[in-house]
Amino acid sequence: MVIEGLGPHGERASAPERVLLLPEDKARARAAGLRIAIVLHTLASDWAKQQLAGIVGTLGDCGVAVIDVVDCGFTPEVQIEALDRLIREAPDAIISLPVANAKVAAAHARVSAAGIKLVLLDNVPTGLLPGKDYVSLISADNFGLGKMAAEGLAPHLGEEAEVGVLGYESDFFATNEREIAFVKWMRINRPRHHLHVARFPSLTEAGETASALAKKLPDLKGLFVVWDTPAIAAAAALVSAGLSVPIATVDLGKEAAISLSGGGPIVTIAAQQPFRQGQTAASTTVTALLSRLTPAWVALPGVAVTATNVVESFQTIWRSPAPREVLRQQKLLR
Amino acid sequence: MPATAKMDADMHPRRKGRPRTAETAAPSLVEILNLVRTEKATTRQELERESELGRAVVADRLGTLAELRLVDESELGTATGGRAPRLVRFSANRGSILVATLDQTALGVGLADLGGHLRMEHHEAADLTQPVSTLLDRLTMLFRWILDMQPDAGELWGISISVPGVVTDAGESFFQTGTPPVLPGWESFPLVEKLVEGFDVPVWLRSSVETMTMGEFHSGAGVGHRAMLFVKIGKRIGAGLVSDGALFRGAQGAVGLIGSVPVSSGERHGTLETMAGSEAIIRDGRIQAEKGLSPILAEHARRGGEITAVEVAQAAHMGDAAAIDILSQSGRMIGQVVATLANMLNPELIVLSGSIAQSNDILLAAAREAIYGASHPLVSRDLQIIRSQMGSSSGLVGAAIVATESLFSPAVLRDWIMAGRPQAHPQFEALRGRLEAQTAAVAAVMPPPKT
Repeated sequence: MVIEGLGPHGERASAPERVLLLPEDKARARAAGLRIAIVLHTLASDWAKQQLAGIVGTLGDCGVAVIDVVDCGFTPEVQIEALDRLIREAPDAIISLPVANAKVAAAHARVSAAGIKLVLLDNVPTGLLPGKDYVSLISADNFGLGKMAAEGLAPHLGEEAEVGVLGYESDFFATNEREIAFVKWMRINRPRHHLHVARFPSLTEAGETASALAKKLPDLKGLFVVWDTPAIAAAAALVSAGLSVPIATVDLGKEAAISLSGGGPIVTIAAQQPFRQGQTAASTTVTALLSRLTPAWVALPGVAVTATNVVESFQTIWRSPAPREVLRQQKLLR
Repeated sequence: MPATAKMDADMHPRRKGRPRTAETAAPSLVEILNLVRTEKATTRQELERESELGRAVVADRLGTLAELRLVDESELGTATGGRAPRLVRFSANRGSILVATLDQTALGVGLADLGGHLRMEHHEAADLTQPVSTLLDRLTMLFRWILDMQPDAGELWGISISVPGVVTDAGESFFQTGTPPVLPGWESFPLVEKLVEGFDVPVWLRSSVETMTMGEFHSGAGVGHRAMLFVKIGKRIGAGLVSDGALFRGAQGAVGLIGSVPVSSGERHGTLETMAGSEAIIRDGRIQAEKGLSPILAEHARRGGEITAVEVAQAAHMGDAAAIDILSQSGRMIGQVVATLANMLNPELIVLSGSIAQSNDILLAAAREAIYGASHPLVSRDLQIIRSQMGSSSGLVGAAIVATESLFSPAVLRDWIMAGRPQAHPQFEALRGRLEAQTAAVAAVMPPPKT
């Protein structure tokens, strides 16, 4: 396993195997009668659903009860209210994906201060420290995902091109890492390309931001979008403007898979492994609740997906068959 | 140059005759600002008591500081019988400091407010043996990226960098006026000068041990303590000392070079760094893997993985006996040397840092055993020995503290406070003038570009 990035405090990554649960660990967890709550940014995306499935399933294997699952709808105020309410419920642990940085830092710090183990997914509000304010961070190798997307998009760009980078305006560890890595790889390996960064403030404005960027750059030859949902919105906006621009993104959502399989505009995807990440988050939580040392940062490598391996990648990542449209596009249905 | 800055620059050298209002106000402004900044006083009444200045003077100076946007009085405190007092708060967001840590294998960047709190940070793998110009390009790009991502941060007031080597005092100047030869190649490349030109702010450099010590003391395990010994374990092993709340810098800033202390283990002799540092751990890990004595490391190598110190630490964590032995030996040797320091300095707290110490309990346990075993009972009675939880963030926070402590030290602050921004300090203006003159001189001897 090669992890390209460093953790939010410069930590070296630990492999998911570091928090492997043995049968005796599961038996101890079951005997302890543990209760945990889950707080996610959204429950609407494929990524969130798979992550949740991985967490809940693994906790079930350990006899740990999930007492609440909160959908924050990407809203810091909702997350703060949810965390404060859950603190009063006094679960043994909370698994949370912080939806912002400074805004939600204090609420997360209150969880640990109340003696509840806090396991973070994907993002660490600045100032919170592992071992003190939270147990561990579980995330994909987001720096590696950005680099993988750049490598995948490069063959579609020619010798010298105007390349757009559609980043996320919020200060978020995962999307920051992807943007930095994409730009770094391009500057080092394709120095003749011209990179132009624009950032969307919210999901609903991703298409608009992409259109504005395309208007500014009539010769746009490629686009990187930091995750798949805004990439789909950007693709739709560009197509409706009559533009055919190859797009690289992160995460193999169903619509992204269909676009990739059908020949574009999404041409390459660096995919996270949300189900496996959910399993790892659950194992880390149980490991911490059994009072064993957990790594500060557990990272999972990404999967490079193109039209040629989209079917098997979809199955590996989502643990379910690829959408019928993808199977049709790949001529796998008779 | 802004009018206020001009006025401030004109203040030096002191002229004969009646002093100007600005000149007489500066010392009390400095005192009041620092009382507010360090939270020794949080109301007007407390300021009058602590500064022994009259009500009218305090009110006048707070008015000036509010105009300079350095203090804020919008918040109400708790009433203690009567009207609730207005709280006087330092506006930590008035300015910001770009910070960076340069390590042998990693680069970290961040943006901090004037209270030393990080607003944002990013770390990535880097190779410090690359040309300095490449390093500067990367650093500049990441700095620009952070500023772009933080449009609401205060005006940029400084750049502070943690470097893997001793930085001796910058002489009379409160910031770096040139690039010290901390690393190979730095003697012939104007890294500091390029940053000053590129960002128009003063630049500070400090050794990573010093910045990490400062960071740990202000934001990590050291909070609430007065005497702390910090030990960084990596390729190099160094120590930092905080005594009575202040970093001890020695005669030239070369404190805590304990990696050079000779140690022995059985038949082997060498310096602490070569015997117990990360390179020794890597070397021993490879030998044990090759001999087949470490199944986990051997398997890792067989799959094409590189054996690093973190790999050895992880193998030890998984129960690999040879890896456990390597880390125990390293911990014991470090502990023996640190025990000598503990007996000399009587710290309340010893913090072990570095990726090996942070990712593994075995080295920490062995070091603890050696330190407690060799310390005088009075020294070990209440001594805590823990590992850092801050990682490389301690270097970023510490770098920010280096800059803010320098900017707000009374001797420096009084020379820029009336202008409201440190770029107006005469020493910085002099440096900028010198760099502009150099650029002009180079441009004058260069032939004009062909058209």
